[in-house]
Amino acid sequence: MGAAAPAAAAPARPPAFGRAVSAALAVSAIPAVPAIPAVRLVGASARYRGREVLRDVDLSIAPGERLAVVGPNGAGKSTLLRLIAGVLAPASGSVEIGGDPLSRLDRIAIARRVAAVPQQVALPFSMTVEEVVALGRLPHEDPFRGPRESDRAAVAAAIERVGLAHLVGRDAREISLGERQLVLLALSVAQATPILLLDEPTVHLDLRHQVEAMELLVDLNERDGTTIIAVLHDLALAAHFFPRLVLIADGAVVADGAPETVLGPDAIRSVFGVDPVHALRAPSEAAVSR
Amino acid sequence: MTSRSLRAGARRGFLRGMRPFLLLGVVVALAVGACAGSSTRGSAVAKVSDATDAPATATPATPMTTPATGTPTTLPATPTPAPLPFPVTLTDDEGTAVTIPARPTRIVSLTPAVTETLFALGAGDRLIANGDFDDYPAQVGELPHVATYMGVDIEKIVGLTPDLVIAGGNDFNSPDAIAKLRAVGIPVVVVYADSVDAILADIRLVGTSVGAVPESEALTAWMRDRIDAIAAAAATSTPARVFYELDATNEIYGPAPKSFIASMVELAGGDPITTGDPAVFAIPLEKLIAADPQVIVLGDAAYGMTPAAVAGRPGWGGMTAVKAGAVRPVEDTIVTRPGPRIVEGLRALALAIDPTASLPEVGSPPPVAAP
Amino acid sequence: MASETRVVAAPLAGVRLRRRRWSPTIVVVGSLVALAAALVLGVGFGSVPIAPADTIAILAHRLLALPVERTWDASTETILLELRLPRVLSAMLVGAGLAVAGATFQGLLRNPLADPYVLGTASGAALGAAIAVLIPVRILILELGLLNLFAFAGALAAVFVVYRIGRSGGLTGLLLTGYAVGSLLAAGLAMTMYMSGANLRQIFSFLLGGFDGASWLRLAIALPLVVLGSIAIILRARSLNGLLLGDESAAHLGVDVRRERAILLGLASLVTAAGVAISGLIGFVGLLVPHLVRMAVGPDARWVLPISAVAGACLLAGADLVARLLGDIPVGVVTALVGAPAFLVLLRRTRSGYEQ
Repeated sequence: MGAAAPAAAAPARPPAFGRAVSAALAVSAIPAVPAIPAVRLVGASARYRGREVLRDVDLSIAPGERLAVVGPNGAGKSTLLRLIAGVLAPASGSVEIGGDPLSRLDRIAIARRVAAVPQQVALPFSMTVEEVVALGRLPHEDPFRGPRESDRAAVAAAIERVGLAHLVGRDAREISLGERQLVLLALSVAQATPILLLDEPTVHLDLRHQVEAMELLVDLNERDGTTIIAVLHDLALAAHFFPRLVLIADGAVVADGAPETVLGPDAIRSVFGVDPVHALRAPSEAAVSR
Repeated sequence: MTSRSLRAGARRGFLRGMRPFLLLGVVVALAVGACAGSSTRGSAVAKVSDATDAPATATPATPMTTPATGTPTTLPATPTPAPLPFPVTLTDDEGTAVTIPARPTRIVSLTPAVTETLFALGAGDRLIANGDFDDYPAQVGELPHVATYMGVDIEKIVGLTPDLVIAGGNDFNSPDAIAKLRAVGIPVVVVYADSVDAILADIRLVGTSVGAVPESEALTAWMRDRIDAIAAAAATSTPARVFYELDATNEIYGPAPKSFIASMVELAGGDPITTGDPAVFAIPLEKLIAADPQVIVLGDAAYGMTPAAVAGRPGWGGMTAVKAGAVRPVEDTIVTRPGPRIVEGLRALALAIDPTASLPEVGSPPPVAAP
Repeated sequence: MASETRVVAAPLAGVRLRRRRWSPTIVVVGSLVALAAALVLGVGFGSVPIAPADTIAILAHRLLALPVERTWDASTETILLELRLPRVLSAMLVGAGLAVAGATFQGLLRNPLADPYVLGTASGAALGAAIAVLIPVRILILELGLLNLFAFAGALAAVFVVYRIGRSGGLTGLLLTGYAVGSLLAAGLAMTMYMSGANLRQIFSFLLGGFDGASWLRLAIALPLVVLGSIAIILRARSLNGLLLGDESAAHLGVDVRRERAILLGLASLVTAAGVAISGLIGFVGLLVPHLVRMAVGPDARWVLPISAVAGACLLAGADLVARLLGDIPVGVVTALVGAPAFLVLLRRTRSGYEQ
């Protein structure tokens, strides 16, 4: 399939860069009219230890969409991501990626379509930043011949894109939590999948890095056509950077649409249980000029 | 896929992952074993390890008459050796068939008893190496040592190119070492004796192995005669209760029932106090006190144990033996070593049990042809 | 270690990012050379002095089939080929197996302190061996006594029990179950040793490990298990890499975590059990060798596993040589005496970063 290089807003980086990443992607970029949704859940529900944590979720996400999942703790947001990533099988209903039901895809095929930024874990062994990011190429690597030139190129590109070039040879156990968060993000970027899932990616980041991360997501979405689904706690960040919000509470989708409609004061009061004045900072405070 | 099928899949995956390799490994192993096992040295053996008295293939002993009193007898000198019976195939004490192609001239002995036996049979000049715990006769100290308490030095043995090795069974020498020596083509005869009869049979077995059959016949006949004489003289209608102490530094170690030492004590005219269980060698102090020995024989005298020390042990003062002062040392090696000096050992043991007994002298064993 | 901060001027795509590690190919070549040297040295030394020229001549003649004029006598050749060579090769085989198994367990359990015995293998093997010593039957099947067979079975049985009981608790559950089951088996072992009386020595010499009983036949039996098992593990190196960041990440990267974990556990246990069956319990090889290899070439299992195998073979052959030269002391004592201080040095050099 040919890679349609997007001719959108003038990118800050040379166009060759974006094409190199797309070549490594080996999937098509933004199609003109999405006929097949990138992600589709039909009547999906999930159980955890006998307890129903998600029920009857109907969700359709077009390729190239950028959406944020918000909601209170324990609502089932992370569970939703796990359903989409295929690591959790739905108790009922179905989950489709690119039109194919997950039950019919093997793990590697899923890993080539969906990347989920890993949670922060303690590394048992000393690994350089580059080695961590290189793990993202695992689904693409030849099991016998190991990483190829294209894999190495994708790793280098991902590191560059996330802005970690200055950390390349460092021991990943010695960098700060925020830097490690970006390393994990780079890992998923290196995985070069059409769908990217993030579960609270801004937790350890300072304000500037939060914004930079969000802008990176926007960049990935608009230039490469990556479908982005992010779980966020920060409602202001979500509202500012994501054109579509899905509000989940108590295991069900409560609202789905533009931030203004989803995050009305009634929703905040009923779903989050707080006075709406606490919820939304002025979006302009979140933007910091570099 | 539900999580249940995931779990079942994991289980299947576990077995599935292992099965082909286990199967392959077993098939390869059997194939290799079949090929390698064709050059068997009789190593596929399954038996219960009660040492059986393996009758050596030897000429029958000439019967001797024993006098009623204790005068020593001197037997006629052994006849000049008959034509040597080699090659010989014999069955050793572990039931292994061992073939010795020619009269051995380079013999290695791995137990002290075998060393003594070889010298008693006049084969001491053909001994080229022994263990470092051998102490009798005096010449043995000069030979190279190929066995220590840590094990057998197989390389050294192979380097000396022996044509016969005689080893001790019942794990005295490591079975691995014995198997290894056989694997490189050295005949190994394994001896193990747990009774007087077995000792005599072993001496005949060694005699057959080294081509000293008439000497071994004469020696065992003489030994039988002296043992019977001493036992007869020591026999009494009221044998004393005897405790043979092996060691008492931590636990008290004594003879197990039906063990060799127990049988020696019986032959020496005593009633042995045992541990009560053939597999157990330690006896609790209470049990010993309840058994109340009339005589305590100190087998650990060589390690410094004295009657005075025994009397001073707490709880031992009430025993008849301690009160009567009947705690006597004995030279442990001659009592327990399964070799030709067992005769002296029996006599020494009988004297330790009853110093007033009138026992025949041991005398000298029949002389062997000069080396 | 020198500072690892490297500012890489990144001219966009196609830039080759340099590693701070040694080149894996150089390490592989170096360790193969060391292996050959360990073979010659191990075969050349023993309680009977043999001239080095003779050693090399015999090896060249027999192993490489080179035409060499025969200047040695039969007993020398017997010593070299029937006594020393199977022993050195057995040490290499077990060393390789333990190192690969150790690396696998460390990767599976994401714990640098894991060794091949961490899930009860050691206690299971020891208990099996002790029971075999107690049973008054002598069986020899293909030169493997009851001791070896029971040790093998005991090791596998212990891991199986630990896996079935402990896997529901995740990695921590597995480790804790391994500890608990191991302790239980150790108690059983103590009881058995107490009851064994005179046979204590035999159990002890098994526990301390050694290659006295090495023979061509035993080597032939253990070889397919260790080699095939190790190769099977190496082929799955990718899964081990995937597990580096945890189960969830591994699943996201396309690794079937439950299945791979079970298979790798089974294979590593099989390799360990085969090694333990012919050589007893030898420690520190499986723990240290993967650490050293990772320090040199990084944590990529595709390199760590095969290089650990070769390095483990060299190390254990060397330890066996030292054990022999020091008067035939048990190999396990040598590995402990060398391995424990080395491990302490390693711990001090390893920096602990900000860990969560």
